Amino acid sequence: MTDTLPTPAAPGLDADALLDAYRMMRTIRAFEERVHDEFATGEIPGFVHLYAGEEASATGVCMHLDDRDSIASTHRGHGHCIAKGVDVKAMMAEIYGRRTGSCHGKGGSMHIADLSKGMLGANGIVGGGPPLICGTALAAKQQGTGGVGVAFFGDGASNQGTTLEAMNLASVWNLPAIFVAENNGYAEATSSTWSVSADNIADRAAGFGMPGVIVDGFDFFAVYEAAGEAIRRAREGGGPTLIEVKFTRYFGHFEGDQQTYRADEVAQARDRLDCLKRFRARVTETGQLEDSTLDSVDTQVADLIDAAVAEAKAAPKPTADDLETDVYVSY
Amino acid sequence: MGIVANPASGRDIRRLVAKASVFPTAEKANMVQRMLTALHSVGVTRVLLSTDLGGISAAVLRALSTRRDPWPAVEFCDQDPLTESAQDTTNAVRRMIADGARVIICLGGDGTARVAAAACGDVPLLPLSTGTNNAFPQLREATVAGLAAGLVATGAVDATHRASVLEVTAADRVELALVDVCGSLSPYVGSRALWEPGQLTELFCAFAEPDAIGLSSVAGQLCPSARDEPDGVAIRFAPPERARWVVRAPIAPGLVVPVGVREYRVLPAGERVDLEPCGVIAVDGEREIERTAGASVRLRPDGPRCVDVTAALTEAAANGLFRTERTVDDDGYLANTGSARA
Repeated sequence: MTDTLPTPAAPGLDADALLDAYRMMRTIRAFEERVHDEFATGEIPGFVHLYAGEEASATGVCMHLDDRDSIASTHRGHGHCIAKGVDVKAMMAEIYGRRTGSCHGKGGSMHIADLSKGMLGANGIVGGGPPLICGTALAAKQQGTGGVGVAFFGDGASNQGTTLEAMNLASVWNLPAIFVAENNGYAEATSSTWSVSADNIADRAAGFGMPGVIVDGFDFFAVYEAAGEAIRRAREGGGPTLIEVKFTRYFGHFEGDQQTYRADEVAQARDRLDCLKRFRARVTETGQLEDSTLDSVDTQVADLIDAAVAEAKAAPKPTADDLETDVYVSY
Repeated sequence: MGIVANPASGRDIRRLVAKASVFPTAEKANMVQRMLTALHSVGVTRVLLSTDLGGISAAVLRALSTRRDPWPAVEFCDQDPLTESAQDTTNAVRRMIADGARVIICLGGDGTARVAAAACGDVPLLPLSTGTNNAFPQLREATVAGLAAGLVATGAVDATHRASVLEVTAADRVELALVDVCGSLSPYVGSRALWEPGQLTELFCAFAEPDAIGLSSVAGQLCPSARDEPDGVAIRFAPPERARWVVRAPIAPGLVVPVGVREYRVLPAGERVDLEPCGVIAVDGEREIERTAGASVRLRPDGPRCVDVTAALTEAAANGLFRTERTVDDDGYLANTGSARA
């Protein structure tokens, strides 16, 4: 028998794609760890909610998306922005409240948006994102673009009426919509095991007549596969899917959160489950990527974040004249 | 008696890529309660129950204070910290056996049964299906299963049979599979399930039933092999367009797909076979082993002792364990009741 079988490779994940995935996750991690440090200096206005630990979710989903597609995010939105291609320097400037920011310094961390990238915005309203992507998904369906809408939301938002209504609407209208429930265990300080009446958020999908699956949110490949199937299904007219991604956030709900509600789960997750560590171990073991290549990505990302912070700090703040721009009504 | 229930079974990606069922936690808890009633009725006095964060043990705990039926004493195995992984099943089964359990009932899919089987040694196992593929666990009414398990635990009947297992050795890891071992080209464990036939390299089955669900159904249509036969089946896959055989097989619930097979043969018990190079190895339908260099598989006859529900209740019927006979008059009615007949 001389038949040879093809070289092992996950569909759509060649070495270049793996490197892109690693770069995306590393950029999110480095961005968030830097914002964590910088926020402690008091220079950053407002609140920040950091995405560190959850990188595999935004990356595993957004790797499948393109210009036809849009996403809606949460107030833990930096990772989704980076994964959907929002400019990292403009994001940092936005967080610093500078004119060079994605929203000219008037939105801040919780309102970073870039419609040119299909990023409908981080969102200060818990459960604010799912109805938005029903709109973009309906538009994509009506216009026949093949585009999909993806709503990221948390375990807290999974209890909000807006989220449940959006899932119902998406199912009734058979919209190309993906609902990604990022369950990090706590809505602010409230445990999801207490506040979510279903045993799993994914279980609620059955009530809306859509598939619901649970994936390990620390495993890029698990998220990538599930999201790929859901997005392909949506593009082909198969309708919406609910994906529950389970993991732990590495920082508090917001920067300054004392986290008296949880024990040592973060240290354990960082040590044993971390998505970047697991990704690196696997792709080097299979020989698809070299450690040295990944190290050089780390260096490039660190340089990018350094530059983003330096440029943000040097950039001008909005002036009184800017009050009358970017508003619906000019006075 | 030990009962271990997996809160996570029936939730994986097969609900998206196929049409696999969602098995609700409430029903798993109801199954435990039906079993408790059945176990009491056959004289089981003490039941050890696993704990979980999914709500199964919590529902049983609540029911303990509201139930009407007599139950055995229920003790929760809560000594080990929960990890929300397969380790919880292993820990619970080990605790139950150390604490004297004579039968282990496990609620889950093939994955849960596999983990329980690896931990239960010579103690009989009764795997009940609450998962996805379930070629090994049985889809049985929990009351009836509870009666059978109770009869075996109390020694009233002797109705167990020894299953075969496939032993996979890869690098420093040894895993047991109850149904099948499959090589996949996927380089990652990822979302665990297998649903793309093009990714499969070869398959080893401990048994292969023509009416199975899952990968072993491919072998079941080519080379059926009953559970009680010592030998298994080995298959090498090929792309359907180049394969000698193409089998339309239900490789997951709601997924009937053409699978190309280039050769198949009986897998004799005891023969060690080296796996072809592949990305990951799946055991009982779930991608599990990533380091596959030099991996081999062997069919062993010394798998778990499993409770045979049909045989247990057939033996009970033969021995009249559930019936009482009393003296009646010629008209067929009970004698000397002292009350007027209608």
